[in-house]
Amino acid sequence: MFADYSIFAMLALAILGALVCLALPRPRHVLRLIVLVSAIELGLAANVWVGVLGNGFVTAADGWFYIDAFSAFYLIVLVLVFLLSSAFAGVYFAHETGEHGFTLTVAHRFGALWLGSLTAMMLVLVSNNLGIMWVGMEATTLLSAFLISLHPSRLSLEAMWKYLIICSVGIAFAFIGTIFAAASVQTAGGIPADALFWTRLASADVQLDPLLMKFAFIFILVGYGTKTGLAPIHSWLPDAHSQAPTPVSAMFSGFLLNTALYCIMRFVPPARHALGAEFTNELLIFFGTLSILVAAGFIVFQRDAKRLLAYHSVEHLGIITLGFGLGPLGTFAALFHTLNHSVCKSLAFFAVGRLGQEFGSHEMHALSGALRADRLWGIALLGSVLALIGVAPFSVFMSEYQLLRAAAGAGKWLVLVLFLAASSVVFLSALRHLIDMAYGDPKLPMADGAADACPGAQDGKAGILIVVSAIGLLVLLGLWMPVWFSGALVSAAAVLGARV
Amino acid sequence: MLDTIHAIGLVSCFALLGTSRIGACIRWLSLQGIVFGLVPLLAHDDGIGLRVMLLAGGNIALKGIIFPWVLLRLRSRTLYPREVEPFVGFVASILFGIIALGLSVWLALELKPALPHAPFLMLETAIFVISIGLFMIISRRSALMQVIGYLMFENGIFVFGVITVVETPLLVELGVLLDAFVAVFVMGIAIFHINREFGSMDVDQLNALRG
Repeated sequence: MFADYSIFAMLALAILGALVCLALPRPRHVLRLIVLVSAIELGLAANVWVGVLGNGFVTAADGWFYIDAFSAFYLIVLVLVFLLSSAFAGVYFAHETGEHGFTLTVAHRFGALWLGSLTAMMLVLVSNNLGIMWVGMEATTLLSAFLISLHPSRLSLEAMWKYLIICSVGIAFAFIGTIFAAASVQTAGGIPADALFWTRLASADVQLDPLLMKFAFIFILVGYGTKTGLAPIHSWLPDAHSQAPTPVSAMFSGFLLNTALYCIMRFVPPARHALGAEFTNELLIFFGTLSILVAAGFIVFQRDAKRLLAYHSVEHLGIITLGFGLGPLGTFAALFHTLNHSVCKSLAFFAVGRLGQEFGSHEMHALSGALRADRLWGIALLGSVLALIGVAPFSVFMSEYQLLRAAAGAGKWLVLVLFLAASSVVFLSALRHLIDMAYGDPKLPMADGAADACPGAQDGKAGILIVVSAIGLLVLLGLWMPVWFSGALVSAAAVLGARV
Repeated sequence: MLDTIHAIGLVSCFALLGTSRIGACIRWLSLQGIVFGLVPLLAHDDGIGLRVMLLAGGNIALKGIIFPWVLLRLRSRTLYPREVEPFVGFVASILFGIIALGLSVWLALELKPALPHAPFLMLETAIFVISIGLFMIISRRSALMQVIGYLMFENGIFVFGVITVVETPLLVELGVLLDAFVAVFVMGIAIFHINREFGSMDVDQLNALRG
């Protein structure tokens, strides 16, 4: 009902929320407001999703906004991750003291940039015009840069500068790709004014110039791929993820990367239309597999828990990209994996972030004995990392299993072997780190007086609710997938031209 | 007229490659911004509408005047030698420029059949400016020079966009300009913080995070 108005409401609410954040008198009011805004956004996004599932698509503003099953699914995942991360921000910043204290100035900056980033990401997902989509994507970089250096220090400024320069250049490449895509319509048949509209570009009756479309897709893949964190252009990612405050890392890893991948996938139907499915599939498979392999190599040698999780993001975005290149079943698995990875990775960052606050370090050897020190976040760490490396019955196992079936079905045996080998390496090295962190002997005295607190109890109901709902979702989807949900994934895959 | 713009585009790129003073680089960048801002008025002979006027005016104002002004202020606010301090020397940079020019001509020749509307000289200029901008980002030590490189890169993309896609909606153009505007400010503030924390803008010092 009123799904088209919901789109306007979502954007307006986030912008309004960002402005109101600047005027609130107390830091904790900002933290409450972002949770409230995210919760309402979830309701609105669900309304849009229902509209899309009933109707096939929702459009508004003369076709400038257009949401189909694919973008509606991404929208739901985005808002879900945002709600979880916003709720966690309340728990996390309550424990920030000293020079990293969450003062009113910091709170204003955080609240405005946080909801600003949400607006930009939603703009990417709802816009039908590929130019506006690009504008939204560049805006996410600019708005989120200062979230990394919320507390300016040498390391966070370094990470922020690398992020800013590398991603700005990457996204500028994507703009060249967007221009090529628009030009490919023109030359083949007159000069349409709506050349940048995705619905126009993807429709079957448009003639696209194959050479220009090929250039377009390569520039898009490299450009947005930089922001997705695909190897070998992922170098900004571990720095930014490790230096940002944890709620920001969770949002980056849980959704910002997916937004960039979403942009790449928007160009896949026109590219397949002009060049055949083989060309895009091969490229997606190549970059996906390469990312998995490179990430596996780096995961073995990590010592910092947040950097470890960052490389896991490179790996999992690689898995999702690989899935998109493996035909209908692969696309289905990739979409399912997107949700699983987002929820699971956010939870992993939450756990490492809180434990890091208690232990005063993110080094893995320092986090030893987490399960004894803090029951709640220790369990969260154990559960989320086990899920992350693909242990049954978590849903990540299911999506990776489907992906393996897709690879076997497509006859990509080399990819299958490489994927399995890299996954085994990741599995073993992550498990080794995890056992030390969860069950080892505590090596460092705890910081911030947490030692005398009752383990896990200090974060109250909010902490428990976050952990239980995230782990609950991962287990539930691992054991049972509702029919309507798999139907939603099938229709999202169909948008990309993959009929399951 | 397009010939003149082409010539100024090439000269400004080589000047930027060979100049050692940041202030001079900013002035060359400003000239480039103004000249390229004229391209939308000239590239198409099907009349100059309000849209084209706005596009040209907006670009000249931002890239020719406001951005250079911001960069000059930033340079005078920060405690840093006013030299470019390249990783790659000036002679080698100019040699790279010559090679890049050759490659741009070749790539423009390759693309020309697919883009019949685009004037060849501008196509070549755009590709050349994009490649030099990218080179400046990689090869210069000062964070300010990286921003200058990024803006050259943007200039090149702007020319490329104007000559290949005629009918981009105004809303998209404005969005792109707004992003560039915010980008310069964000990068400016970032440089300001980096300068305060590190006592310089040397990006070579940003090397603690690796692996």
